[in-house]
Amino acid sequence: MRIGMPHMGNLYIPFKAMFQRLNIDFVIPPLTNQHTLSLGVKHSPEGLCIPFKLTLGNLIEAAQLGADTLLMPTGYGICRLGYYAKTQEQILHDLGYYNVEVIGVGISEHKLLGLLKIIKRLSNNAPWPKIISAFRFGLSKLNTLDRIERVVQKVRAVELVKGTANQLFAEAIGAIDKADDYNALKKAQADYIDQLNQITKDNQAEPVVVGIIGELYVVLEPFSNFDVESELGKLGVEVRRTMFLSEWTKFSLFLNPLGINEKDRIHKAALPYLKRDIGGDGWESVGEKVLHANRYDGLVHLVPFTCMPEIIAQNIMPKTKENIPVLTILCDEQITKTGMLTRLEAFVDLLQRKRRVENNRQRVAT
Amino acid sequence: MIRIGIPRALLYYQYYPMWKTFFEELGAEVVVSPPTSQAMLAEGSARVVADTCLPVKVFLGHVLSLVEKCDWMFIPAIRSVKNNTYNCSKFLGLPDMTRAVVPESPPILDIDIDINKGKRALYQAIYKLGRHFTWNPFKVRQASLAAWQAHLNYRELMSSHGLTPVEAIAETSGTPEVEHKASASHPTSARATIALIGHPYLLYDEYVNHRLIHRLEQADNKVLTPEMLTTEELESAIARLAGRAYWTYEEEVVGAGGHYLQSGTDGIIGIMTFGCGPDSLMMDAVRRHAVKLRATPFMSLTLEEHTAEAGVVTRLEAFTDMIYRRKRRQVEACV
Repeated sequence: MRIGMPHMGNLYIPFKAMFQRLNIDFVIPPLTNQHTLSLGVKHSPEGLCIPFKLTLGNLIEAAQLGADTLLMPTGYGICRLGYYAKTQEQILHDLGYYNVEVIGVGISEHKLLGLLKIIKRLSNNAPWPKIISAFRFGLSKLNTLDRIERVVQKVRAVELVKGTANQLFAEAIGAIDKADDYNALKKAQADYIDQLNQITKDNQAEPVVVGIIGELYVVLEPFSNFDVESELGKLGVEVRRTMFLSEWTKFSLFLNPLGINEKDRIHKAALPYLKRDIGGDGWESVGEKVLHANRYDGLVHLVPFTCMPEIIAQNIMPKTKENIPVLTILCDEQITKTGMLTRLEAFVDLLQRKRRVENNRQRVAT
Repeated sequence: MIRIGIPRALLYYQYYPMWKTFFEELGAEVVVSPPTSQAMLAEGSARVVADTCLPVKVFLGHVLSLVEKCDWMFIPAIRSVKNNTYNCSKFLGLPDMTRAVVPESPPILDIDIDINKGKRALYQAIYKLGRHFTWNPFKVRQASLAAWQAHLNYRELMSSHGLTPVEAIAETSGTPEVEHKASASHPTSARATIALIGHPYLLYDEYVNHRLIHRLEQADNKVLTPEMLTTEELESAIARLAGRAYWTYEEEVVGAGGHYLQSGTDGIIGIMTFGCGPDSLMMDAVRRHAVKLRATPFMSLTLEEHTAEAGVVTRLEAFTDMIYRRKRRQVEACV
């Protein structure tokens, strides 16, 4: 049995760590690229969203590398994503990969125990302590990655030589991937955070702050959004987002069953405009707009084309009392980098001007 | 008397008799918007972002046409009507979205229907809706029982008498001309039997689908629709094709498609709109199955605001011509 899974950002690193410790045969398809996209688009029904097309491309590439057991998120009550595993398995069979099985991993349905049981099945009945220790190690890699990324988001906006932080981040990802015990991991984290802090920065700069909201996959997979965070960093913008995989796993696996929900705050903020969960991340998009209206300078709303929950969110968002500039970017296979950059530049210009005007007004007042 | 506005769009075709009975039992008057027109669609589309799907734009057009004519607007948020199924976000967010994009709308009566939460939650939701008219729970109970009976009668009219929802609604409101049309719609010597699959708000909105059913019947074809099948037939077809239903209204597409693919109809036309989330997957499942079986010709028609009538007609003619020729060949082969 050889296992493969689609990419989403750096998700493959924690999974690789976990599967290595359990001696599971795991292939990593090439990082999502243009070829993946063409493969996915070619074999997908036309009306589907970019997450489907890209993950299908990943799965096909994994199958080409000999993977026969593919993992794919599923579950009722999210959006059509819950149906994807079934359709993608059909497509793979029709393409001639007859022995491929797509296993749906439903986080919200299976909960922690269900997830561990799936891992146990994949690992040929490894003993429980071994599974739990491997799972913990994977999680700590995920946490380390996200901790470093948070620092990178801050440094990118103010670094003097643009691109230094990104380069260090790439090195850090490599080091975390290589780390094979907790000590090495801790050392890598301390090392790179230190190096990131030592990058020469523009100390006078007060970067505008832009929040990234929208659908989980396009927010977390840089290929699908042309690495919007780095591009904003190059324009001197500090990027913030609430959506981190480590946070998400922490809550959905460990804290939600105990009744603690980090999203309650966001949902409560959305209530006057949207009273119920509409699947996907639609409720959160509306809520985050309301919550961040006074804290950020602007928001970039990333939406896969034809995404059902985000269309509802897009229709509701302009009508909220809490006002903040929002740039909606539709992500699909037709999007071009130049087009996106032009819009980003115009948006950032607008935010910077707005801030200058406000500063002037304050100075006059005092 | 309180006037309740019900837009003639989306779930109207499934539940109108039920809703009407419920509100009338509670002493309200029900106002329905007129059939879809070009102006309604244009007004509806002007309110929302461009990639919103056609049925929702049509729906908002209907809401806008009712604004002055009623005191309350009834827009339910239906999450599931069966266990472990899930509905498109657009149905769930419909009341909130309407509130946001049609601020001049009269207050919106919304009700959360979610069978997954159990019977108690359902009864509470119904009572909460009834509270707007009476405090008396028994009156609400009576009204909802009457509404349920009306719904069952309506389903019965469609599945055993072969009426379309539009005909059945006319029948329940007692319009006599229907009888005539119902018998005329089933000519004894049809050239071909063609099944249409898709959601009722596409199949029976003549403006949206460019009078598809009418065109097929004019050309002496017998038209079958998902409503003419019984629940058992639909469910067994879903089990065959997809295993377990995921969507709340899966039977209209996968169920009916699966059944008609193997029931000896001459051809199937799948009707969906551009950008429809559930249909993009369900229609694809039916298409894949059709390719595998190689028994029944299948065509998928995607509708949107810009669909030109001539385009639909051309594709329809090409499809039916192919079916007639296929039938002739079969007859010749037998001789």
